[in-house]
Amino acid sequence: MATETEHGEIEGFGQVSRTVGTVFRYLLIAATMFGIVTLAVLLVYVANDAIRPLTAGPGWYLTYFFTLVVPTLLVGAYVRTRDRAAFSFGVFLIGLLVVSLMFSGGVGLLVVDVVPPLVALSFALGLAVPAAVAVVLTRNSHRISFTTRLVATSLAFYLSLFGLPGPIGDAAGLPQVVPSFVQFVQSIPVIPVDWMMVAAVVGGGSAAAVGAYVAGVRDARSGLYAGLAAFAVSVASAVVGPFVGLNPVPAVVVTAVALVPTSTYAWRGAFGEDGTPIGLGFAATVVGGALVGAAAVEAFGFAGPQSWVDWQFLTSSHSGSAVDAGLYPAIGGSILLMSTVAALSFPLGVGAAVYLEEYAPDNALTRFVDVNISNLAGVPSVVYGLLGLGVFVTYLGQSAGTVLVGGATLALLILPIVIISSREAIRSVPSDLRQASYGMGATRWQTVRNVVLPEAFPGILTGTILALGRAIGETAPLIMIGAPNVVFSLPTALNSKVSAMPLQVYAWSSLFASEDFYTKAVPAGVVVLLAVLLAMNSVAIVLRNKFERTG
Amino acid sequence: MTRQSKRSSVSRRKFLLASGGLGVAGLAGCTQQNTGGDSTAEPTSGGDESGSDGTDSGSQALSGDIAIAGSSTVFPLATAMSQRFQETHSDVNVSLQSTGSGGGFANYFCTGQTDFNNASRPIQPEEEDQCSGNDVEPVELKVATDALTVIVNNDNDWIGEGLTVEELKQIWSADSSPETWADINSEWPDEPFELYGPSDASGTYDYFHEAILGEETSHRQDYSPTEQDRTIIQGVTGSKYAMGYLGFAYYSENQDSVQAVSVKDGEGDYVEPSLETALSGDYTPLSRPLFTYPKVSALQEAHIEAFTRFWIENATSREIVAEEVGYVPLSEDEQQAMLTRIDDAVDGSN
Repeated sequence: MATETEHGEIEGFGQVSRTVGTVFRYLLIAATMFGIVTLAVLLVYVANDAIRPLTAGPGWYLTYFFTLVVPTLLVGAYVRTRDRAAFSFGVFLIGLLVVSLMFSGGVGLLVVDVVPPLVALSFALGLAVPAAVAVVLTRNSHRISFTTRLVATSLAFYLSLFGLPGPIGDAAGLPQVVPSFVQFVQSIPVIPVDWMMVAAVVGGGSAAAVGAYVAGVRDARSGLYAGLAAFAVSVASAVVGPFVGLNPVPAVVVTAVALVPTSTYAWRGAFGEDGTPIGLGFAATVVGGALVGAAAVEAFGFAGPQSWVDWQFLTSSHSGSAVDAGLYPAIGGSILLMSTVAALSFPLGVGAAVYLEEYAPDNALTRFVDVNISNLAGVPSVVYGLLGLGVFVTYLGQSAGTVLVGGATLALLILPIVIISSREAIRSVPSDLRQASYGMGATRWQTVRNVVLPEAFPGILTGTILALGRAIGETAPLIMIGAPNVVFSLPTALNSKVSAMPLQVYAWSSLFASEDFYTKAVPAGVVVLLAVLLAMNSVAIVLRNKFERTG
Repeated sequence: MTRQSKRSSVSRRKFLLASGGLGVAGLAGCTQQNTGGDSTAEPTSGGDESGSDGTDSGSQALSGDIAIAGSSTVFPLATAMSQRFQETHSDVNVSLQSTGSGGGFANYFCTGQTDFNNASRPIQPEEEDQCSGNDVEPVELKVATDALTVIVNNDNDWIGEGLTVEELKQIWSADSSPETWADINSEWPDEPFELYGPSDASGTYDYFHEAILGEETSHRQDYSPTEQDRTIIQGVTGSKYAMGYLGFAYYSENQDSVQAVSVKDGEGDYVEPSLETALSGDYTPLSRPLFTYPKVSALQEAHIEAFTRFWIENATSREIVAEEVGYVPLSEDEQQAMLTRIDDAVDGSN
């Protein structure tokens, strides 16, 4: 076909020219950049409105330049040339600190304003005791049959959470005879002060996680010591907190959720096996530089930018004037909605994915389900809103706009995405591993539990977090289910009305006609929403990268 | 080796004893009375009342949810009132939703979802039927007076002093539905209208319909209807030949972006919309009362009754109603009448 002719043309290709290829290449680059640049311009515009960096004085910039920017650049360049891995470890450590601080803000909001410490403690105990029973039973699994263990475990959970005869008795009209363990704990007349209960729940949880992590890295004994140390640090922070201007409860939460895990990771990365202490040095330079800069700015009295995103904006509720308006109830509402969505969509989605990948036979029905899940992932969110309104509010008679209805609707919305991404993760587990497990005589259940799920778990988690990132920005379904435009305090129960960050931004931009809201509160709300979204996505990306490295 | 371990075990016992003693002492100092406040379990008699904190001494703290929906015109007023109420009663959770008067009655209030429905027109008979069908009994409370405002673009220089009711009727009527300004008055530009207004779920729409067009004439439907008053402002700002109408509060926040049209009723003068002309009664026929409708069963709950009284007690406040929101406050007499109505509603079904 492609034979050369006298005129330098190749049949079927036309004239040979480099220009066409070059033009095509640049067109492709333009196509790539168009969307990114447009979005970047928009974001810069919004961020400029919200943070107003130009309102800060030159003194403020100079101070931070010398305390933060210069040391960061110098130390960063040095560390990077010495040891690339150390540099990325340092960067990661800073990211971890920032994200975990944001996360601790969320947890703090929950324990301060949503769940009273006693209730949290009672439920933590009410879950921990039967869980311990279950663990003991599982240890003795060779002596007790599965059915007995199942019945005993369910009974332990039921007694602990509901008592006798519990909701079943309520339905049959029987009076409560034995109070549940949860009720019992809540009725104890003398209880520890709030921060101790918070320390027990949050600090205990964080200590357990740290202990498990260290036990995995070193051995069980170091794990135990690390957990105890972590718990002691959390408790100690409540005593130290008041001296640095923090109330005991927030001090415990910040320490347990942000500082303890970050320092555990820092310790491991710097002093563990093949650790890189200079990476820690880089992270310390950045954090220290920021702190020194803040202190210096305070001491010299340099005014920072008059940002609309400030502490007042994050902690106050809506107000008639844009300057005093805040996002607090919406932030809390979003957190509660996301917790509900995660609690509903994660087990359902992962369960469906495991079934479809590991158990489902390859027949017409499975393929039909397959196609429908893919289609459902593309259904517009407003349709899910209608579905939520129809099913939960009209048909099931729930009241409109509550945490439960909103969470359930958003969970339905992201369920197909969770299923698809979980299936992706499960499918990427090499079938050699499965075959090897079967070859050792493991059953299908043992293979799924011990081989497939642990291997696929980071991928599943990544997909779920990205899906939650979609849910947190959804506005249309919440409008459809009748979520209120303005609320003034956090919801305290599953059936109280809830607002969310995107909904609040929408209400400000549409219902409050004054220019003030449009130029102050709206950009500030958008920036907070994006910050939360980016934090969630960064967690997902880090998980995925780790997963790809090890797997 | 053995000696070392012996010594360390002694010191460990001492350490355990000392730390245990300290711990017990510390724990004893760090306890509080369980007031059993808002646990999920049934209220457990609140421990003993001589509790140490004393947070719940004095007047009993109000707590509970209040759900408000309805008119977008009343929404800013309801928001301002709830915000103030919330400052003193932080345990009461008020949620507000702007659905339009009719939308609020039909979808939220009369189905029993909400405790209050705001309305920028009185409740209609069919809505009362729907409510009573669901055992919802509304109480009509007037909360302010509004001057419904017709707005045009700042560059509109041809309407002169203002518009007559007759002209407004021609512009907005479905029967004539003129295409261009010149269809109304041949001296005006021969350019098509761009009309913005509230949707038919809105009380503002109902009131305008009744006051300007009357029962027989229907409101034209080829305009841009919206429940977001900001959209009306933006639409009118964006086009020289646009016209729209909305509640006075939204106009008063955007006085630089659009101009309000003075309205002449019958043989009177052109009267510009303002709080003064609405209060004096000169601004006819577009000055109108604004309402909120609590339901009688909700008023039996202490926190909702307190909120209702709080609202009416502050409904005469010039600072909140006029300066912050932009409506005409109630007179003292009207306030007394409304308070009596609340009393009757609270006692009536006891």
